[in-house]
Amino acid sequence: MDNLDDLKAIWHTAKTDSLPTSGEMLQMIKKFRRQRLRNKWQVIITSCLLILLMVVILCVLPFKMLTSYIGGALFITAMVTLVATTVKSLRRFYRLDNCSNLEFVAFIEQTRQNQIFYYKKTMVAIVLLCSIGWLLYMYEPTYKYPLWFIGTHTAFIIYMAVMWFVVRPRSFKKDEDKLNALKQRLQDISNQLK
Amino acid sequence: MTHFEDLYNRYAPQIFRVCLGYTNDADQAKDLVQETFISVWKNLEGFRNQSQVSTWIFRIATNHCLRAIEVAKRMPAAELPFELAETVEESPEEKLALLYRCIAELEETERIIISLELEGLPQAQIAEVVGLNSGNVRVKVHRIKDKLAQKFKAYGQFR
Repeated sequence: MDNLDDLKAIWHTAKTDSLPTSGEMLQMIKKFRRQRLRNKWQVIITSCLLILLMVVILCVLPFKMLTSYIGGALFITAMVTLVATTVKSLRRFYRLDNCSNLEFVAFIEQTRQNQIFYYKKTMVAIVLLCSIGWLLYMYEPTYKYPLWFIGTHTAFIIYMAVMWFVVRPRSFKKDEDKLNALKQRLQDISNQLK
Repeated sequence: MTHFEDLYNRYAPQIFRVCLGYTNDADQAKDLVQETFISVWKNLEGFRNQSQVSTWIFRIATNHCLRAIEVAKRMPAAELPFELAETVEESPEEKLALLYRCIAELEETERIIISLELEGLPQAQIAEVVGLNSGNVRVKVHRIKDKLAQKFKAYGQFR
């Protein structure tokens, strides 16, 4: 084992007969294609349906107060932002095609920064737009019924407070640690390629 | 037989060996082969021969290897059987296991470069895959060879 040719000879003794046949691989690809990115597509499709639903409601139902329209518009803006962000993040899964390792490492770093931006800015904007929009939108149907008004608004505010102050920090902390560890590893790999 | 099947039959064993060189784990390597050919299948129609098809496929495969750092820490190196370090006359399987073990101890990009080199890719093509120039790749291959030689020596294989 003292020269490259010896190593090459050993290298090529690796058994590859356990690999699936091309037919089996095609079957796997078809199955896997449906599963992969399913969550992201679900977010996009659900958001688009909600946008469509809100547009139809605003056009069809005879709202009298401006708050309902402002609320609906804010909700639609939040959903459009969510769709745009998710579509943008889908790009990373298609970016593997024909770029060198060096370019790809730079791309992962960019993606990492985008994820941090999403947590710190975009997510805040989406939740704020959605919350204010929903509260404004619900004003008209409930303002004549104080109990309903207090009930729906209080329930929504409590739900949002729990999500914002309990769920989000936990999930962010977990992902932040992961993203920081990734930063270090990307730095190591970039240094290896210098 | 479709073009995809031709490509799969021709390159799957090579991609598997390269991924195995990177991960030192057969199951992970198989998953990476699958990921690679999902990308190949998806992008095959859009492939316009800007580069050789082999360069294209090896780029996809090695990028998938690198992408694993998003979900896992540095790939762990599988342990060798304890007594192997003491053995001089080994079976081909043991020699191969030792080779993978030594490669697994290298840094990520070194593992990719030496795997492509051992697979027989010309250094100009390795340079295209990795994103360095040929001269740089030549120097790196030389250094990696030295590192491997030292590792083999440490395991009592250089006599």
